[in-house]
Amino acid sequence: MIKTEKLTKHFGEKVAVDALTLTVNEGEFFCFLGPNGAGKTTTIKMLTGLLQPSGGRAVLGGFNIQQQPVEAKRVIGYIPDSPFLYEKLTGNEFIRFVAGLYQMRDGQAAQRAEGLLRMFGIADVADQLIEDYSHGMRQKLSFVSCFLHEPRIVIVDEPWVGLDPKNIRFVKDFLRERTREGTTVFMSTHTLSIAEEVADRIGIINRGRLLHTGTVAEIRALAKNPGTLEDVFLELTHEETE
Amino acid sequence: MSQAFAVFRAKMRIVGHEVASVRRQSKLKVAVITVFATALWIGAFFLFYSGFRWLISFGEEASRGGMNIADILMARMLGVLALAVFFMLIFSNVLISFSTLYRAKEVPYLLQGPITYRLFFLSRFWECVAFSSWAVGFLGSPLILAYGISGHASWTLYLAGFLFYIPFIVVPAAIGAIITLILARVFPRQRTSVMIGLGVIAVGLLFLYIQDTFNISRLSQDVVIAAVMDATARTQSPFLPSFWAARGILAAGGCDYGESLFQFLLLVSNALLLVWAAAELAQRIFYPGYSFLAGQDKTRIKPLDKGILGRLDETFRWLPNPARSLVVKDIKLFWRDPTQWSQFVIFFGILAIYMANLHTVGRGEIEKEMWRSWIACVNIASCTLVLSTLTSRFVFPLISLEGQRFWILGLAPLTIRQLVRQKFWLSVCTTSVFTVGLAVLSGRMLGIPRIHFWLSVYSVIIANFGLAGLAVGLGALYPNFREDNPARIVSGMGGTLNFLLSIGYIALVVGAQTVILQWWALERYTSPQMFWWALAVVVASITLLSLGATFIPLRLGLRNLEHMEF
Repeated sequence: MIKTEKLTKHFGEKVAVDALTLTVNEGEFFCFLGPNGAGKTTTIKMLTGLLQPSGGRAVLGGFNIQQQPVEAKRVIGYIPDSPFLYEKLTGNEFIRFVAGLYQMRDGQAAQRAEGLLRMFGIADVADQLIEDYSHGMRQKLSFVSCFLHEPRIVIVDEPWVGLDPKNIRFVKDFLRERTREGTTVFMSTHTLSIAEEVADRIGIINRGRLLHTGTVAEIRALAKNPGTLEDVFLELTHEETE
Repeated sequence: MSQAFAVFRAKMRIVGHEVASVRRQSKLKVAVITVFATALWIGAFFLFYSGFRWLISFGEEASRGGMNIADILMARMLGVLALAVFFMLIFSNVLISFSTLYRAKEVPYLLQGPITYRLFFLSRFWECVAFSSWAVGFLGSPLILAYGISGHASWTLYLAGFLFYIPFIVVPAAIGAIITLILARVFPRQRTSVMIGLGVIAVGLLFLYIQDTFNISRLSQDVVIAAVMDATARTQSPFLPSFWAARGILAAGGCDYGESLFQFLLLVSNALLLVWAAAELAQRIFYPGYSFLAGQDKTRIKPLDKGILGRLDETFRWLPNPARSLVVKDIKLFWRDPTQWSQFVIFFGILAIYMANLHTVGRGEIEKEMWRSWIACVNIASCTLVLSTLTSRFVFPLISLEGQRFWILGLAPLTIRQLVRQKFWLSVCTTSVFTVGLAVLSGRMLGIPRIHFWLSVYSVIIANFGLAGLAVGLGALYPNFREDNPARIVSGMGGTLNFLLSIGYIALVVGAQTVILQWWALERYTSPQMFWWALAVVVASITLLSLGATFIPLRLGLRNLEHMEF
């Protein structure tokens, strides 16, 4: 579903992502881990077509994001860490706008939006202006807008900011449920306990280079001393830094 | 549903909500803006109307016995204005396109959606048109109205003005967007010095092209008509869209509908062609340019004690801490905020135009004492208004800008009184450099009498204290700690009140001086002693007023901050 080949990005002299080669399969929950400045967000920006790679390529759902951007973007959904939402639109108006961007039929979009808004618990505030929403409500609205067009691939950048424990649990369950239905989830996070809980596979990136990929058990096995994923992560990235 | 329609509908909803939100804004602010906007529109109308009336009477007098050149002069003047607006629109569209197409917060959101770069461009392009061109509509409507009334034109002139407006603003918007798309693709790859050099050459060429056109006011009357015809001939080029618009509107006013329709279609077809060309260009070069800009190495290293800002601590060593730390921090934050700069550049641009005009006025011989006195008073008003612009825009938000960082200051071994005092003195010291300098320089350039000169300089010095007291005091009395944008802080309730009180203060200071100086110019006093006593009373009144403007708001603001919970 997601395939990158030697995906590289330079910012001037600095190499932000260095020849990243990775495959994430259909229906897989892939967690992308790395310390601050490791290259996670740059990778996500290249996968979503916001940044042009300096080298290599990224293919999503069979479409090269650089050569067929519109087709690729049609099958992906993206949730940034601090989502941009039009402050002067209401939740419902924003959803209708997103449906238009994805060229959904009005009836289909309305029906799906209603279900999602109710599921995320923001149906009763959907007619309020977004500028009056709390951070958590904005995050939930960005989830609704992301899943509105039923994307086959979902790219999520640190989605837990601003969510309370109940909603974190809900989002975890929701994303897992979607993977069971065949949606591929590519999630960047610092919350290792959650990654450990939900991920089918994990990738660890540091200084732009992909260090390891594997299941949680495989990653744990790489550590010199057995421990939690957090211990292993710190050991691996520490070694690399040294 | 069409993607373009989805974007358009969302934008229309946003506009609707923005308009509706006016009801929730401060009534004082809405009233001030409405009154000022209406006054500006009416003022512009009368300015244009009297200008056109003067042109008509001048043309009729000059052509006595021969052909009437009043109509030709009016048409040429409209051509000059249209050409000036056309070039200004191109320039403003270059700047606005850059922020709208590349820097706006919604750009990444739209780009991650399944829309083509062509459609992305078109959806953002109309915003550029609206942002850059509303002022043309606001000031163009009184112009057309004044032209029509003074020239007794047919009602079709107003209809044509309305119809020509959209294609006329679309043409420079498309040209500006094309320039921006090319610059964003090429600029990051070029050295800054090369681009600055090219920019200077472009502005120089433009200036040379229009220099004659805008120099005619300095000619003597006997050669003025020939010179006007010659200089404005360039605005009549059939290759200029401004000419098509001006000619088409005038033809409609003269009931020459065939000519008007031809010019209209010419303008519309060119507008459409340029929009199409810009959209096709965007489809090809927007993304590489955007990605290159987003992918630049943004690491900015600023070592301590290097560069001008790095040496500020050393420069202000004579100041005791914590005042020094606060001053250095305020200067660094100001300098590193590009939104503040742009305002500063506009401010100095206006100042430069003012100085250039003083130069022209100063060259003329002003015989009558009364007029010299009037010019001196107007100059005091200008200097103090410049000062109030500085304090309202840059000083008033200083306390609010501490914003969510207030806890840092709150925990520091520093009293609120020290903080407010630091803001006050920073304001007085920095604004004095500009405004006292301006008062001295303008006074010298105008050659005003000594008494006028010293009174001007004294007024500006004392106004620095009064206006800084108002701005800092009201900034502390009405702080807005939730907002990081200085422009929005200024547009709130406190900012509006500060603006109104500053204008009121200036009116009192300038009014008192005008009375005493006119009295002196007209020699209405019975003895010189009487005049000096009256002058002393005026100076004492201005001083007392300034002390009140300084200390009362500061005290109120200080009390408010000291009782505030963070």
